[in-house]
Amino acid sequence: MRDKNFLVAGLAAVVFVMIAAAGWANWQNRKHLAEMQAQRAMEPVMMGNMAGGQGMDAGTMTSPMVGKQAANFTLTDVNGRKVSLADYKGKAVQLNFWATWCAPCKIETPWLVELEKQYKPKGFEILGVSFDDLDLDNAAKLKTETTDIAKSAKQLGIDYPVLLDGDAISKQYGDPEVFPTSFFVNKQGKIVAATMGLTSKDDLENNIKKALGAGA
Amino acid sequence: MSGWWSAVLALMLVAGQQNPFAGFLDQSANRKDAKPNEAVRYLYPEQVGVAAGKPTPVELHFEVKSGLHINSHTPKTKDLIATSLAVPGNAGVQWKDVQFPTGKDFVLPVAGAPGGGDHLSVYTGEFVVRGMVTAAPGQHLVQGSLRYQACDNRACMPPHTIPVVLSVMAH
Repeated sequence: MRDKNFLVAGLAAVVFVMIAAAGWANWQNRKHLAEMQAQRAMEPVMMGNMAGGQGMDAGTMTSPMVGKQAANFTLTDVNGRKVSLADYKGKAVQLNFWATWCAPCKIETPWLVELEKQYKPKGFEILGVSFDDLDLDNAAKLKTETTDIAKSAKQLGIDYPVLLDGDAISKQYGDPEVFPTSFFVNKQGKIVAATMGLTSKDDLENNIKKALGAGA
Repeated sequence: MSGWWSAVLALMLVAGQQNPFAGFLDQSANRKDAKPNEAVRYLYPEQVGVAAGKPTPVELHFEVKSGLHINSHTPKTKDLIATSLAVPGNAGVQWKDVQFPTGKDFVLPVAGAPGGGDHLSVYTGEFVVRGMVTAAPGQHLVQGSLRYQACDNRACMPPHTIPVVLSVMAH
């Protein structure tokens, strides 16, 4: 009888250890799955990095907009001037979606300023499109917000047009969910490349050359 | 004896499907799951008990998704969007002395940008917002919200607001 009790207690201990081990494995598995989900939330950015890092076609990897005709739009710049994409017909254009609260955008901007100067003589222009929130129903607030964006652009050395209210054209450009995002439009008005998230200066330059076409 | 071995095998099979630490995990299952585009989720508590009319410290726990960071309550520059908690006025509940944790210093590690990017003050992982709650007797549903703006090392998402719902039981 006593031997049997020992045997039962021993088996109970074995069972407990097995359950604990299985539980631990299960918990680890769930933790891993949660981490995978977090990674997926930033998938577009990761895809952008992968494309840039491995020298693949970043535009094709990062946006379904590549290969489509760039939708025309008219927005107001920080100086109150109406600017349309159609005004740049026959030029290669980079649409740079950014925001004053976006730290990676601030890293990219000096590169854009340099590249714009370098390739302007070849027919290249940049349009900065701000995605900062605007209170369009409150004139006083709107003025302050516009001034803040203009001030930030000046501090970054931006000398290309900075357009307001990017949200108004977001749908036409696939509702970008991360910033910076850039679309490179060739002289025929077609989107030939896109980047989502911060990429290297070399990648930006390659995309500019693609937009300018052969001989750039 | 064969009955015992059958029981052991059955338990092993069950353990493979269900976690024996279910009590612990159920707590996290009660946490509101973040939507795919939400970088932050409110963890707990869902309910707090306080002494009626007496200021009581309450801690709200949040979690930033792995690999992301959000600006702290006191970012280093004015143009960055601070994490903030909004608690609407409620006749029965008062929130005072809301305290955010100090942000961690962070510099974006960027190749090709000597010294990296701007110096930032951020929250990563779990962070706790503390406040003093004073409530009239009874049960009160507080529907607050947390506003934040999240980034990883290469991109930012637009500012976002998540609900913070807390049931306050004052005895």
